[in-house]
Amino acid sequence: MTDGTTTHPPATAEHVSAEHATAVVRRHHWFVRLTHWINVVALGVMIGSGLQIFNAYPRFNRRGASFCCYPFAGHAVPHWATFGAWLAGARNWHFAMMWLFVVNGLAYVAFIWLHGEWRDLVPRHGDARDAWEMTKFYLFVRRRHPHQGKHNALQKFTYTAIPILAVLAVITGLAIWKPVTLGWLTTALGGFALARFWHFLVMVALVVLSLVHVFMVISVDPYSLRSIVTGKYNPNRAPELRDARPFYHLFTRARRSPDATT
Amino acid sequence: MQRRDFLAMSGGLGASWLLAACGSRGPRGAERVLRYAMRKNEVVERALFRHTSMDSPASKWQLAGSALPSYFVAPTVPVWDTAMRGAWTLEVSGLVRRPLRLTMAQLQSLPAITQRVNHYCVEGWTAVESWTGCRLSELARAAQVLPEAHYVDFQSFDVDPSVGTGYHESWDIESAMHPQTLIAYGLDGHELAPAHGAPARLYSPVKLGYKNTKYLTRIVFMPQRNGGYWSDQGYEWYGGT
Repeated sequence: MTDGTTTHPPATAEHVSAEHATAVVRRHHWFVRLTHWINVVALGVMIGSGLQIFNAYPRFNRRGASFCCYPFAGHAVPHWATFGAWLAGARNWHFAMMWLFVVNGLAYVAFIWLHGEWRDLVPRHGDARDAWEMTKFYLFVRRRHPHQGKHNALQKFTYTAIPILAVLAVITGLAIWKPVTLGWLTTALGGFALARFWHFLVMVALVVLSLVHVFMVISVDPYSLRSIVTGKYNPNRAPELRDARPFYHLFTRARRSPDATT
Repeated sequence: MQRRDFLAMSGGLGASWLLAACGSRGPRGAERVLRYAMRKNEVVERALFRHTSMDSPASKWQLAGSALPSYFVAPTVPVWDTAMRGAWTLEVSGLVRRPLRLTMAQLQSLPAITQRVNHYCVEGWTAVESWTGCRLSELARAAQVLPEAHYVDFQSFDVDPSVGTGYHESWDIESAMHPQTLIAYGLDGHELAPAHGAPARLYSPVKLGYKNTKYLTRIVFMPQRNGGYWSDQGYEWYGGT
């Protein structure tokens, strides 16, 4: 196909005009955009207030015992990463925001399930191999961007891992919120001190995935920022067409059609 | 406005909002919402609460012993001064048919139990300890608590000079009557030491540490709640585990 005109795979509902400047598709439903941004605030407050609570006892051992697996015991998290100003303030935020975090998360999952968006997000057969191909591409081992649908295979794994981690955050959180009332849960997680550690590790995983997500958005597909705000996306800017890696081919014009073979 | 300008502006606003949020208390107007959430959380917590939910630390966990921190609000360890105040007694009053004033010997003559349980501190640490004392439900039976008593206030001779009043915390009656809620006078097989609330203190794993009044002097059954030293400062009143 020649440079300048693109047709789109018929499998997607996206419509592309011949003009680059007006070649815009609707990418994210308003409900997905709304829940995404509510989650940014809710998760941000949960993490910040959680770290403030953590700073009241920045270690994991029971009193009079040692803890196997945390090398940074005694080191408080820096003030700038915390929210809520003091222990009670942070607890009050944490135990209020948890409801918004849970309700918003459930609404999002219910929506993508009922509306069918999960098909673009949940990895299926072949995505493990594609994720490896994407990794090779990002490491300059592979020259051309692997073919992808709405999201590449690495994104699919990330966007599926995040709701799973959120569920784990809630389960481990309940275990340390109500260690006697929900004692069976706390016991199943190895007791309060370990459950608190699992809760912390889940938070670390969520922070890492969120930072990678933001980094990749900025460095690979900043054009997608528009789609999570207004819903619109220019498919001629797709990373696949630009063979985009972090900060590489960021401003390159589309070179090949989205359905070209690798 | 150009799209690029819009993105740059929203990015800048977002970044400054995040910076402003760091380490802050959050917006002033949110405090009403937070208080509302705290009240609703209490409804959920009380609905989940069961007298059959018992705290049971794993048998392999060692007692914290001397690693158990001691906290009090007075500048120095509060010690009951017999010479000045006479012999220590525990008053049980309020909505009761038989108000009591128990000496230590009388308290110890009530049915005693020893329980090995977790201590849950609001700061996030736990400590396994073995407590000896009398169930509060036993004391309530002896005092014949009236059915209108829905709350209990636990008062202390530990005094914060900047506040002027003694330490106290009030509880819901369900948590107070939990079988693991004790008036404890023994710790790890010894007489309770002044550092941990001697002569007697409230001890229960169903509440966070700050709800468990040490240096106990009075137990008052009440129709309404009466706040508490920490709950009046912003910590949640319920403080249940």
